[in-house]
Amino acid sequence: MKRIAAVVIAVAAQTAVAHAHDFWIEPSTFRPAVGQMVSASLRVGQEFEGDPIPRSAQFIDSFTVREGTKEKDVVGFENRDPAGYVRVEQPGLAVIGYRSKANPLQLDAAKFEEFLKHEGLERISAIRAQRHETAKPDRERFYRFAKSVLNAGMNGGANGGARFDQPFGYRFEIVPETNPCASTPLRVRLLFEGKPLAGALVTAMHRDDASARIRIRSDKSGRVTLNLPKNGVWMIKSVQMVPAPAGTDADWESMWASLTFER
Amino acid sequence: MGLAHVRALTLALLIASVASAHEIGTTQVTARFNRDHTYEIDVVTLRHSNDFAQAAEIRFGGVRVNPEVVVLPNNTIRFRGDIPKNAGPFTWRWKLTYASYALTIGARQEWLDADATSTPFPLSADVLPPSRMDVVRQYLKLGFTHIVPGGLDHILFVLGIFLLSTKLRPVLTQVTAFTIAHSITLGLTIYGLVSVSPRIVEPMIALSIAYVAIENMTTSQLKPWRVAIVFAFGLLHGMGFAGVLKELGLPRSEFLTALVTFNVGVEFGQLAVIAAAFALVAWWARTKPWYRPRFVVPASAAIAATGIFWTVQRLM
Repeated sequence: MKRIAAVVIAVAAQTAVAHAHDFWIEPSTFRPAVGQMVSASLRVGQEFEGDPIPRSAQFIDSFTVREGTKEKDVVGFENRDPAGYVRVEQPGLAVIGYRSKANPLQLDAAKFEEFLKHEGLERISAIRAQRHETAKPDRERFYRFAKSVLNAGMNGGANGGARFDQPFGYRFEIVPETNPCASTPLRVRLLFEGKPLAGALVTAMHRDDASARIRIRSDKSGRVTLNLPKNGVWMIKSVQMVPAPAGTDADWESMWASLTFER
Repeated sequence: MGLAHVRALTLALLIASVASAHEIGTTQVTARFNRDHTYEIDVVTLRHSNDFAQAAEIRFGGVRVNPEVVVLPNNTIRFRGDIPKNAGPFTWRWKLTYASYALTIGARQEWLDADATSTPFPLSADVLPPSRMDVVRQYLKLGFTHIVPGGLDHILFVLGIFLLSTKLRPVLTQVTAFTIAHSITLGLTIYGLVSVSPRIVEPMIALSIAYVAIENMTTSQLKPWRVAIVFAFGLLHGMGFAGVLKELGLPRSEFLTALVTFNVGVEFGQLAVIAAAFALVAWWARTKPWYRPRFVVPASAAIAATGIFWTVQRLM
């Protein structure tokens, strides 16, 4: 019986240590022709390798596409992958945006501390240490804020007046300030609750080359300047974490922002 | 189970039931445990890998097994293999997903997050491979009952052998030849080295019954060709036994045990027929002058007639 109990505990412990992972939008093409239908698949994974996530009303708070000044809903079939479809109507940059509802997540203390370190959230570790809570398991709610830039029929630097630099107004968001499909260097800004977020870790990774990776902290104005070393499909991501409001069943709220594009 | 263990288990179950959820992905996993003591786990996934076997952790009682991997259409990867003897509870872990997915085992469904391990699933007794002793008991019985009371044709053939002579030696010689022969073809057929259609074997078995009975009416001497013919017929009967044994099925874990004990069971069945015949009739009647004309000949005639009838029937 002792052995069975030990096995059950070991197994249960493994169940509880599932790691939180990146979330991004992967369109069927980043360079559609005007009028072309593009599917937008949602992905969960790491190192740009992920599982398709079918459309689920249970998770989606908003799923829209912006072209110029117009914003419309991304349509799709419930419980189906790809989660959404977009028809690009005009030349220029279109931006797909996805905002999730809150989801509960639990991590054991060791995994949580490891994760905080990995995502550059040492200040949360410090708060836990200060409160003597380092050994306390994590109870959090996580939110996804994913964006993807489609480049429809544009070459080089022109952007057709598309307002890719306008925030969607997500609670946490990566906002490109220069054209992600063309500008070198690329400047992006982190906004948390509408204000620049300084000192946050930003990671840029190339889909087909794990070595082409940049990890950099945002400056006082919430900006990072990225010299992306090669062309191809890129993801820029950052994770923000704050204490959960009192009276909820979570201790922390994590916010996962990503931006995918091809250059 | 001590109180400490109860507490440990309760705690473990509490931890296990905690929701720790990624988004729900497209992965689906279904596990089946079959009565032929095999498991099959179907994973529907859009992920690709050169090493699916490495991505799946299938354990019975904590011991990892090495499944066969089959890539099926519709994005399905099937893992299959034999359930080990004395298999402990089944656990599953899939390392090729970062999303939540459902593991379905019969009516049970468990949501697993990314590469989490499932809660142990105890297997029901009917899917666990039987022990060697279980197999011995079961196949001895199957072999015996295939003769008595199941196989009237085999009973008649054995009686035909028995009726030839009142002496023990000719009976034993024939029985030995018959046994060796049917053991050979039973084994060869089961292992697939020999394959003769039942449409040929079954009428020939019937014909063999008629033959020995007819010869009984003409002689009471054990001719050398009689032994050879009984041996040849034994080869046919062995194929018949193999057909039956194939229908019954052999446990893969105890294949040879089942084969041998079935054959031994058949042997016991035949010896029981001879022993019964000897006890009922021959013991006192064999010395009587009327035994051959009044008993052996009419009985053989009846057996021959039955054999011929079956031959015709089985040919049609």
